[in-house]
Amino acid sequence: MKEKVLTEHFGLENLYKIDVYQKQGGYRAAEKALKKMKPEEILEEVKKANLRGRGGAGFPAGIKWSFVPDTDKPKYLCVNADEGEPGTFKDRYIMSHNPHMLLEGIIITAFCVGISVAFIYIRGEYEAIALRLEQAISEAYEKGFLGKNILESGFDLDVFVHRGAGAYICGEETALLESLEGKRGNPRLKPPFPASVGLFQCPTVINNVETIFNISHIILNGAEWFIKQGLPKDGGTRIFGVSGMVKNPGIYELPLGTSLKDIIFKHAGGMKEGKKLKAVIPGGMSAPILTADEINIKMDFDSLVEANSMLGSAAIIVIDEKTSILDVLKVVTKFYSHESCGQCTPCRIGNSWINKIVIRIAEGKGKKEDIDSILRLASNIEGNTLCPLGDAAALPILSITKKFRKELESYV
Amino acid sequence: MQERANEMIKIFIDEKPVDAEEGTTVLKAAERAGIHIPHLCYHPAFPPEGSCRMCLVEIEGFPKLELSCSTVVKEEMKISTKSERVVEARKAVLEFLLAEHPLDCPICDKAGDCKLQDYYYEYGLFESQFKETKEKREKKLKIGKSLILDQERCILCTRCVRFLKEVTKTQDLGVFHRGVHSSVNIYEGTSVENNYSGNLAEICPVGAITDEDFRFQTRSWFLKEGESICPLCSRGCNILIEYHPGFSRFELPNRVYRIKARENPEVNGFWICDRGRYGYSYLDEGRADKIILNKIEGENVLTWENISEYLGEKINSMSSAKKTSGIALILHTWLSNEELFLLHKIFKKDLKVEKIFFADLPEGEADGFLLTSEPSPNRRGAQEIGFDIKAVDLSTLADGTDFLLAFGPFLSGLFSPKYLKGALSKIKRKVLFSSYSHELNSLFDVVIPVALIAEKEGSLTNVEGIVQGFQPALEPPGESLPEWKVLCDLGKELGMDSKFYSEFPSPETILSEMGEKIPFFKKKND
Repeated sequence: MKEKVLTEHFGLENLYKIDVYQKQGGYRAAEKALKKMKPEEILEEVKKANLRGRGGAGFPAGIKWSFVPDTDKPKYLCVNADEGEPGTFKDRYIMSHNPHMLLEGIIITAFCVGISVAFIYIRGEYEAIALRLEQAISEAYEKGFLGKNILESGFDLDVFVHRGAGAYICGEETALLESLEGKRGNPRLKPPFPASVGLFQCPTVINNVETIFNISHIILNGAEWFIKQGLPKDGGTRIFGVSGMVKNPGIYELPLGTSLKDIIFKHAGGMKEGKKLKAVIPGGMSAPILTADEINIKMDFDSLVEANSMLGSAAIIVIDEKTSILDVLKVVTKFYSHESCGQCTPCRIGNSWINKIVIRIAEGKGKKEDIDSILRLASNIEGNTLCPLGDAAALPILSITKKFRKELESYV
Repeated sequence: MQERANEMIKIFIDEKPVDAEEGTTVLKAAERAGIHIPHLCYHPAFPPEGSCRMCLVEIEGFPKLELSCSTVVKEEMKISTKSERVVEARKAVLEFLLAEHPLDCPICDKAGDCKLQDYYYEYGLFESQFKETKEKREKKLKIGKSLILDQERCILCTRCVRFLKEVTKTQDLGVFHRGVHSSVNIYEGTSVENNYSGNLAEICPVGAITDEDFRFQTRSWFLKEGESICPLCSRGCNILIEYHPGFSRFELPNRVYRIKARENPEVNGFWICDRGRYGYSYLDEGRADKIILNKIEGENVLTWENISEYLGEKINSMSSAKKTSGIALILHTWLSNEELFLLHKIFKKDLKVEKIFFADLPEGEADGFLLTSEPSPNRRGAQEIGFDIKAVDLSTLADGTDFLLAFGPFLSGLFSPKYLKGALSKIKRKVLFSSYSHELNSLFDVVIPVALIAEKEGSLTNVEGIVQGFQPALEPPGESLPEWKVLCDLGKELGMDSKFYSEFPSPETILSEMGEKIPFFKKKND
C-alpha cells in the first residue's frame, strides 16, 4: 500500500503541464475508460470503490451519479472548486499542482454519466489557479482529450472554468448552480435534487475537486485497490489540511481512518512552541469542535459522526491552550453571520444575533444568561434552515459553547 | 387555470384523517381541511419559496421538521401542526423576525392587518430577549409611483420580488447584500411603474411596502370590506371595497379608502390593475343623491316610489306607433345583465322602440394582462342579450322623438355641451338616470339618481363571457336606487307580462328568466 495517491508526483517540476503529467502515466485512465470500458462498467467500479464525496457531506459519488435520470435533456457536470470552508486549502493545493488529474477525472465522469459540458466553479480568489486550469484545458484540447470525438470514441466534452464572486454560500451545491446561471447565489429548495433538476433545469452532477481527483485512480487500479487505500466503507486516501498551532502546518495525504492524534503529533510535528493542545476542529469550521481528550479518533466519516462531529473537508484546525475560546467563538460566529446568504429567517437573523452577543461579551459587557441565549438561539437555527449552512453554523457554536462553557462563563 | 382533478389520498393532520388531493402540498391539504398553517413567504400564486420557515411541521418518519408549503403529501402521511417541536420552531422564527423588526406598529398602516402581528398574538407571546442593537435601514424609500418601502419592517419573504419577476416580468426589485444586511431594494435607475404595482402593498404580509394612496389615511380596523366587481373595464376583476362605516369622532371626507383584489382563479387570479385599485374616487366624488326636477308638468312631486308611475303614464299616453318611433333610449354598458335584459324586454321587444343608442366611454388600450380595451364592465352582456351596440347619433336621436330615456353620465363626454343642448332641446320629454351631479343634468326634465354596481345586486358578463353575480358592498347614497327596481315597476305600470312582473322579481329571478329565454345565460347559469 502506497500512502500517497493523489499527491504522489507533486514534487515534480512542471507537473501541471500535460507532457509531464503524461510521462507520469497521465491520461492513461481516460484512455482506458473511453476505449475499453462501458459507462455502466465505470459506474459499477466507482460504486464498488465506496468513494465518498470530499466536499464535506461524504455522499457516495457512484450513487450520486446513478441518480441522474435517462433523459433527452442535456446533462451537466459541475466541479465544486469553491473552496471556502475556513481551514480548508486542499483543493487549491491539488489543483495548482496537478490540474490535469482533475481534467482526467472530469473526462471519465462525464463519459460515464453521458455529459458533454462540464463547469469548474472555482472560488473567485483562486485567480492564479483558474488561469492554470485554463491553460491545462487548452493543452487538453490540443492533445485531443477535450473537444469533439475524444480519443476517437465518439464522445464530446467541453470544459469551462467559472470564477465565483466571493460568497461562501456558493459552495453549497444549489447556490453554486444559481450563481453559475448568473443569479444571486441563494440555495434552492430540495427536492428536486440537482441530479434530476440542476443547472438550467437539467440533470446535473456536482462533485468536489478532490472527489474527481480520485476517479482516474479508481479506473486504473480498480475498486478493490482503492478500498485498500482507505477503509471498506470509505475508500481511498484523504487530503488533510492541517493548520493552526502545529509545528508543520500543511497538506497531508493519508489513508482514511488515520488517527487524528497521529496527524497532529506525528505528521504535523506536534504542537508549536511546545504549547498544550486545547481543542481541534477536525473537518473545517463547520465541524463540531473536539477537546484535547477526544483526539484518539480515526479520521473517517463514520468515526467522526459517532463522536458527534464530522470529517467535512478534512481541514484540521489545531487550537492551543493560549487561545481564548471566546476568540474562537468570535471568529466562528462572525464568519457565519457574514456569510449567511440571508434567504431564510433562522440563519439570517440567528447568526447575526449570536455574533452580536459574542461581540458584546468580548467587549466585557456579557451577562451570565448570555451563554444560555447563545445555546438557545443556536438550537433554534439547527435543523430549521433552508440549506446546510444553518447547521454548519449552529453545530460548531453549540459544541464550542457546551464543551467550553466554564471558560466562556469566566468572560461574563 | 383549471387544475386536473387528482385522486384523493388519506393523510392524517393532527391525528385527524383528512382527504388530500394527490400531488398537493401539506399546507394546501391542511388549508382545504380547515387547518391553518402559519406562513409568510408562501403565496398561492407562486411556487414555494421556503425561506420564512414559519410553516414547518412535524411529519412522522422525518428526522427534521419539514416545510408544509413544499412537501408533497403521501398516502398515510402523519402530520403534526401543533406538536411541541413545531410550536417551538414557530416561536423561534417569530423571535428571530421580531428581533430585527422596528416594532413601529403604532404608525404602521399594516397594523391590524399584519401577519407578523397576528402570528405573534397567536403563536408568540414571549418576552423579548434581544439586547443588541437593531440594524438600521432605509425607512422611506419611494420605489414606485405610489409605493413606499420600509426596509426595517421587511421580513424578506420576497413576495414583492417574485411578483415583479413572475407576474409583471419587470424585475424592478431585488434582494441586495447578504445575511442580516440583506434588504429588498429597487434596482438603480428603475421604479415600479407598471399597471399592477399596487398589488405589492397588498401581498406584503407586513408593513414593508405601503401604498401612498392609503398611507396614514386611517387605521385598518376602522374599515369594513364588501365584495364587488370592478366596473372599470370588461375583465370583471373581483374586488374588495374597504370603506369607513362611519366613525363619529371624525368628519369623513369619503367612504371608500381602498380597493383590494379578491381571488378568483378564473378571472383575475389574485391581482387587480392599478386603474381598478386607485380609480375608486368614482364611488364618492360628485355623486347625485336627490331626484332633480327641472321641468315637470302638473303638481307632481316625484319620489323614488312614484317614478315608474310617472314614466308609465307618459309612455301609456302615446299611441303604439308613436311608442315605436317617438321613444328613444340612450343606454350604457355599466348596467347589469338584468337591467339590460329588462330594458330589452320592455323597450325593444314589447314597445318595439327603434332608436336605441349606447353612450359609453371611448375605447381605451388593453395592457395585455387584465385590463381590457373596453372601459365598461358589461358590453358582452349587452351583446348577448341582443342589443346592437350603436353609438349615439344626435340627429337621428332627436328626429321625431317625444320622449328620451337616457342612462349614465357619459353623454357629456361624447359631444360638446352646445351641440348636445341643441339636439336635446328638440325633444319634448327627457329623463336621465345618472349617479352623478353634472351640468348635463340641466338638459333633462327629470334626473333620477341611481346606484353604482358597488351599491346594487345583479350580474355582469365579462369580456370572456363569464357571468358573475354581485351583491351590494355599499349603501347607495341618498335617494339613489338601482335601475332594475325602476324597470320592474315600469314593466308592471305598462301592463306587460303581468305574470313576470306581478311578483316583484329580484335580480336572481330575472337572471333565471334570462336563462329560459337566452341560451347563453342558460349555459352560464347552470
